[in-house]
Amino acid sequence: MKYLAIPLIALASPALAGSVDIVGNVEAKCVIQTDKSGVYGNPTASTLSTSPSDGGVLPVVRFDVAIADYYTANITHPSSFSSSPALTDSVAWTGSTSVSKTSDAGMSGYDSAKVVYDNTTVFDLSVAGSTWFSTSSTATYAASKPFTGGTYTAVVQAECIAK
Amino acid sequence: MTPAYPKLKPSHVSGVMKVQMSLFNQREDVKYYQVELFDLDFNSMPFSTTYRIMKVDYKERKDFEVYIRKSDLDNPLYLCTISKVVKPRSSSPLISSRICSKVMEETK
Repeated sequence: MKYLAIPLIALASPALAGSVDIVGNVEAKCVIQTDKSGVYGNPTASTLSTSPSDGGVLPVVRFDVAIADYYTANITHPSSFSSSPALTDSVAWTGSTSVSKTSDAGMSGYDSAKVVYDNTTVFDLSVAGSTWFSTSSTATYAASKPFTGGTYTAVVQAECIAK
Repeated sequence: MTPAYPKLKPSHVSGVMKVQMSLFNQREDVKYYQVELFDLDFNSMPFSTTYRIMKVDYKERKDFEVYIRKSDLDNPLYLCTISKVVKPRSSSPLISSRICSKVMEETK
């Protein structure tokens, strides 16, 4: 009986030394994160601005792309309030988007290569890694009227579009 | 949202293709995402999925299938997830994010 047991142990021992595979997959993907929520400052009665010099905070969005050249980042600054007190006159909007930080030196050309149309700024995400974009937004009430008291909200749209 | 270029597979319904998608929520300030299908000019296109608006907690992954008519696949389409943002209590700009994959004929 003990002679039978020896080959059985010999057969079983390779299993004890077995390996476990760890499989990973790098695929094209885009992740958008809010790095900093913006705040409108109210430097004058007729102005709401995200500019730090006006007491505001610039919203910052982070785009992570795993593989280069698969996506464009399209960021649109607001052209209207999504919620506000009742306003009787028109509001003039201005804004812009620029690169505020990058994870790779190869992204240094993003700002100069950006394409702007209407309220949208398009960046070609041609390098893998993380890019932080900050968006400024200013709303001026018509004829320098004071804004009505209340809470004002506008939407910055950050899009990652597969090429 | 992955994949960037989803593979079209036949569904159990004749004339309808399906794609398998996966959404990972990296935004702590967002819990709900809406699924949308657009043509290249960002006009809405018909599609079907289990939940058009789905709850995805922070750092959670959710897999879902989207059903698209074969007849709509002559041109590439954008399949997008759009964050649903909550109205804040202070005056501020909200950040709405949209990530779009490209569904292409070549992937049929």
